[in-house]
Amino acid sequence: MICTRKNTTCNSTIWEKDKKEAVLGEFERENPEKAGQRRLVMEVSSLPISASLRAKLISGGYTCLSSLFSVSSSHIAQDLKISENEAQEILRVASQRRASERSNGTTSMVNGAQSAWEMLNEEQSLGRIITSCSELDDILGGGISCKEVTEIGGVPGIGKTQLGIQLAVNVQIPMDYGGLQGKAVYIDTEGSFMVERALQIAEACLEDMRGYHGFLKRDLQGCQINMQPKDFLENIFYFRVCSYTEQIAVVNYLEKFISEHKDVVLLNQVTTKYTEGQYQLTLALGDSWSHACTNRVILYWNGNERYAYIDKSPSVRSATAPYSVTGRGIRSSVSNCKRVKMM
Amino acid sequence: MNQTRITHLMKPENLLQQLTPIPTQKCTLGCPILDGLLNGGIPCNSITELVAESGCGKTQISLQLLLTAQLPVSLGGLSSTSLYLYSESPFPLRRLHQLSSSFPTLKNPLDNILTHPLHSAHHLFDVLSQLDSFLLSSPIKLIVIDSIAALFRFEFENNPRDLKQRSGLFFKISSKLKEQARRFGLAVVVINQVVDVMDDSDGLRIGNSACLYTSERKVSAALGLSWANCVNMRLFLSRNEEVAGDDCFATRTRRFIRVVFAPHLPDSYCEFVITGEKICGLER
Repeated sequence: MICTRKNTTCNSTIWEKDKKEAVLGEFERENPEKAGQRRLVMEVSSLPISASLRAKLISGGYTCLSSLFSVSSSHIAQDLKISENEAQEILRVASQRRASERSNGTTSMVNGAQSAWEMLNEEQSLGRIITSCSELDDILGGGISCKEVTEIGGVPGIGKTQLGIQLAVNVQIPMDYGGLQGKAVYIDTEGSFMVERALQIAEACLEDMRGYHGFLKRDLQGCQINMQPKDFLENIFYFRVCSYTEQIAVVNYLEKFISEHKDVVLLNQVTTKYTEGQYQLTLALGDSWSHACTNRVILYWNGNERYAYIDKSPSVRSATAPYSVTGRGIRSSVSNCKRVKMM
Repeated sequence: MNQTRITHLMKPENLLQQLTPIPTQKCTLGCPILDGLLNGGIPCNSITELVAESGCGKTQISLQLLLTAQLPVSLGGLSSTSLYLYSESPFPLRRLHQLSSSFPTLKNPLDNILTHPLHSAHHLFDVLSQLDSFLLSSPIKLIVIDSIAALFRFEFENNPRDLKQRSGLFFKISSKLKEQARRFGLAVVVINQVVDVMDDSDGLRIGNSACLYTSERKVSAALGLSWANCVNMRLFLSRNEEVAGDDCFATRTRRFIRVVFAPHLPDSYCEFVITGEKICGLER
């Protein structure tokens, strides 16, 4: 089972550090919360669907629940020769099963109240979106956390848009590969989102996934990656706004759009601020805006290297990490690279 | 009936765009090597800035674009007319005319280039506002503003209050341009000048290079950090004198175009030459 250890760098660890370590159950044995994940690798036979559909699924090779999550409903429909509606129903039911496996069955005395323990559990089960740079993920506590607002600021050309696109792609990584299998809402206020760049980053992400595929445990090898770069575009809901009034309208509209693993990553601009005779770099929208964000990450140049600095975070301490912007997207800084060559 | 105002229905649903896996439309520069550097040419729906000191070829490139925009889409053009807003009089008509002979397939190319002089930054904003109605009915797909720095030079002093006002105007202008670029699918090219950077000062690094050099001087783009945030892509043109051959008295000018920042391009550069009025990239 792929390690999806919640609060560490496991996801990017798999892809960039020693692969051998990632393959076997060492992580599983050490982490009781894995137990919930394990049960995902269960037979499809217990899903509440019609017997004939179930039979078709099993004879089609879809024996584990997670095998359903990396393919589209139209693929299943074609594969099993069933209707699109039936395929969608199967996926829906499987998702529900997965979701109920994950929840902790909380009880609360008052509607909406939670005990601190429940909150801690929930926080630990919060998804994190990896950035594809392990050092950056490390200082972020695993990645950009969901259900929190993270502000990313920096000068033009430092990589804010690149990081935004990388996250919009990485949030879609299937669960089999340690991802959240989610979708992204991309609110573009600058017009810097270029489809060709998103496709490039998506292609590199798929290549990384395919490279990792060889390390999957046997029972998951039936789950081929049928995704293509353009599939990633379907799961990015792109809003192009040109004024703050449009932005407000979109943000209000988002409530209709919000689903389980929604999080907001805001791209902010940097400008110089004149205080006491000295020019200081400060984030453009100022302090009152900053209070609205849970986390703040500042991207900056240090010589010829790009660095990220956690300026504000309730859960991780301030730290810096180098990263680079490559043709494949955000990656580790070249000088720090200890990548194992993939065969 | 006044058809010049479109009721811009600001429904948030209308702002949601379907992403199709087709690259953004681009306008060719008229040279495959330069187009290669830019992955097709100058992109539509965004603002591209050309930064250079005088004599580097920035006006030349913009004139070239005014012509290539008229080429059919199959040849990388935008099949459209262009608008040239210029702050430095007089309008370079003779150079344009000479350059148009390099594009024999275009019939009456000068007819498809609209020009308008600019007096100040506020004037630019007014012109852009008036453009809205015009753009609705006219096939303009390229706007070139030559140059932006000059417009701000006269109105604003170098004190904090003026600079803050100036920044406000940057955002107003770029916001207007981007909105029009989005609405009408325009390619917008803005020419900017350079300012010298003192050797001992800690220059603010913007983009792929710690600092930019031209004519052996350390320079940076004019208008500062605020304006840099207003453009989507910045290209830097430079020239350097180099010793030619064994004769140490003979020098030749080498010209380069470099990507300072762009959301879709890596850090890259290309040498180019100006031959017979036309700008061409050189193979490595």
